[in-house]
Amino acid sequence: MSEDRNKDEKPYRKLETQTLLQQIAFRQGFEALAASEEGRLTWVTSGFPVEIPIAMNVGVVYPEQAGAIIGAQKIGPEVSGYAEDLGYSQELCSYARVSIGSTDRPDDVPMGSLPTPQALLACNNICGTVLKWYDAISEMTNAPVFLLDTPPIEGEQLVHHKAYVKKGLKKLVEFLGSTFNTTLEDDRIREVSELSSKAIELWSKSLQACKNKPSPLNCADRFLTMAPVVSSRGTEHCVEFYEILLEEVEGRVKQGIGAIRDEKIRLLWDNIPPWFILRFFNKLAARGVGFPADTYTHAWSGLVAGADTDSIFDGMVDIYSNVYLNKGLEAKVDKMCQLIKDYDLDGFIMFSVRSCKRYSLGQLTSKEIVTERTGVPGVIIEGDMVDSRLFNEAQIQTRVDALLEMFI
Amino acid sequence: MMTNDQVIEQSKTELDQLAGMGRSAIGVLYPHAPFELILAHGFTPTLLRTNPNVSGAYETSLQTFACSLVRNMFSQRELDQFPLVAGLIFPGNTCDSLQNLGDIWRVRFPNDKVFRLTYPVADQSDASKEFLAQELRLLSERLSKDLDYPFSEDGYRYAVRLMQDFREAAQTLYIGRLLNSKTITYSQLASLVRGFLSAPSDGMLEKIKETATRVSQELEERNLKEFGDTLREALLKRDFHGIEFPVKLPYPRIAVIGGMTDPDALTRIIESLPKTSDSIIVLDVLSFGLKTVFTRPPEGDDPFEAMAVSILTSPGEPTQEGLPDRVRFLKDIVSNLYIHGLIICEQSFCDPDEFETPSIEKAVSELNIPVVRLPLDSELSDMSRLGVRIQSFLETLGSRKEGC
Repeated sequence: MSEDRNKDEKPYRKLETQTLLQQIAFRQGFEALAASEEGRLTWVTSGFPVEIPIAMNVGVVYPEQAGAIIGAQKIGPEVSGYAEDLGYSQELCSYARVSIGSTDRPDDVPMGSLPTPQALLACNNICGTVLKWYDAISEMTNAPVFLLDTPPIEGEQLVHHKAYVKKGLKKLVEFLGSTFNTTLEDDRIREVSELSSKAIELWSKSLQACKNKPSPLNCADRFLTMAPVVSSRGTEHCVEFYEILLEEVEGRVKQGIGAIRDEKIRLLWDNIPPWFILRFFNKLAARGVGFPADTYTHAWSGLVAGADTDSIFDGMVDIYSNVYLNKGLEAKVDKMCQLIKDYDLDGFIMFSVRSCKRYSLGQLTSKEIVTERTGVPGVIIEGDMVDSRLFNEAQIQTRVDALLEMFI
Repeated sequence: MMTNDQVIEQSKTELDQLAGMGRSAIGVLYPHAPFELILAHGFTPTLLRTNPNVSGAYETSLQTFACSLVRNMFSQRELDQFPLVAGLIFPGNTCDSLQNLGDIWRVRFPNDKVFRLTYPVADQSDASKEFLAQELRLLSERLSKDLDYPFSEDGYRYAVRLMQDFREAAQTLYIGRLLNSKTITYSQLASLVRGFLSAPSDGMLEKIKETATRVSQELEERNLKEFGDTLREALLKRDFHGIEFPVKLPYPRIAVIGGMTDPDALTRIIESLPKTSDSIIVLDVLSFGLKTVFTRPPEGDDPFEAMAVSILTSPGEPTQEGLPDRVRFLKDIVSNLYIHGLIICEQSFCDPDEFETPSIEKAVSELNIPVVRLPLDSELSDMSRLGVRIQSFLETLGSRKEGC
């Protein structure tokens, strides 16, 4: 750490682009409210091919993002409690619990409850829980559930898997058409897909820039700035946001400015972050520990492209089936090893999230393999992304300290 | 009549004998496995069961929040408590715990032959059928290639007959319990079904057929045979329209619902209670029970498509799309089969079970039927507390009767 640094100076640098996030969030909030009042709002899971509802002029909003907001407000346990009062077990996904809780008592969750949906669009490429979660919301709101079933992939996606998912996409168009009296036009899906691809391309460039030393973005930066690519891909304002972000990121790289002031140790983060304690990363930043890469924000990397609806659908089948969480342990290990190599990382932290079995079960095994293949050490810490009752900070600190001692 | 343990022991012996005759076993973890396909390849499919006496050997590979079934299966394998199998078929796309377990298994036990059969979750009629049929074809190819046991048409015909004879016999036992719970105890029914699914063979079929014949005769003597057939068809069609019980039924009649809970676990708890017998349970709606038994046989020229249809049209699981249909079916059961109370089994850390429970609880409570939730783990580690729950539930039902 440099001796002449101001004692009050924070160990990390706040992104200027972050201030735009609030504007985007407000805009989304108003748009969702308007769509709900007009009877054309859907709730969608983060891995859903959102380009289709957007191209069909159907509003979209993301309960997982609302869950992150509830987590960040540190009201996760309270809002989870509303769902637990309805009989939902504390062992279930906390995104789902706070979503159910805030739907049941929206007035008690002003920041995080979502406008009433007219349909629920789930894609199980991120987990099997989404269907059960949306079934529960459907019972509360009477909104019908549409499931896009993307069977998990082992190795290459098989032909019959592709055909099945593509039929699902066509069924989705029928579902939206009959539910919202709308159609899908070639020109519009092409336009939305291009915007989506552009946003993802810009986002990917910002992520790639983190290969530089020091890394221009830290974990918390990426967790926050990923919001638009999750919730607004396919729109012009999303592209604009990532153009501005990339400009700032590239500017930092040119000037040799890092996300943290004194980057000494570069680590990989695996899994969803604990939204209620993002300062966890800032505290580590004070010790010179940065996270130039993570498996979570790299999930949005595929480009949706094609000349017409049919070819765009083929692309969507590929992109939305091949997301990180829809692949086997071998593919996850490969991805982690690749990130460690490409971003020249010293070690990794795996966050074992009790809420998320799809992401977390297998970490004990993959930790061993990743270390074996890359030679870098890792540690597993356990907790939750929203429910702070399941996060033992002191215990986690001890484990992280043990990892960091290996680098001294 | 054989005891539970005797039936289970017999299934083990049967499995050993079949192995001695060169018929190896393939372990399956999911009840809606293609038993006919495995038999057609010359193997004996064996539904792997949880073992309450095994615990705690999973910690280096699985976190504590893996579902209890998954933890128990892994521990059994780690401790060499599994039956000798030539391969294992893991279900894909059913739940996250089982999905990931298959991957972990391959790493931890690299010498095990692990196959995966991926199921469609969405209800997409023909598309789902085509998908599953192709999955079954690929599984068949892998069984041929990796284990050198080709698919046999004759073997398939034998398997269809064997499984259908089993289902029909087991359906008779279910009907018997619904009409006269003294005909056969629930634990006997459960152990016969479980015994067969652990070692599907002519020998095990004979046992279940013997009991079914006796139950059928008793129904005939009481002039209930015809109504029993109507009831069986109603359960198969999941349509109870026009069903009117011709006999006065005892009180209380309790049904049990849940996912992959071993029926045996429930009977153990009930049998441990003083002055209580499992005669109170007239019906289960469990994966290893009614949902497997009331499955239609594969029909049609293409065996793979026929098996796919058979699996996809069996009573739905909480791992699949279709909660409203499942809730409707349960409400129909409760209303039409004169159920006075419902026990909901929730496997510890089982997402599908735990998500579906509040919906079931709400729907059945709307019918003014008392409900009790039983959070279970495979080790039955909380048996005494669960027993207390059931006892107080029975007291509630008792006071209701007095109040009538």
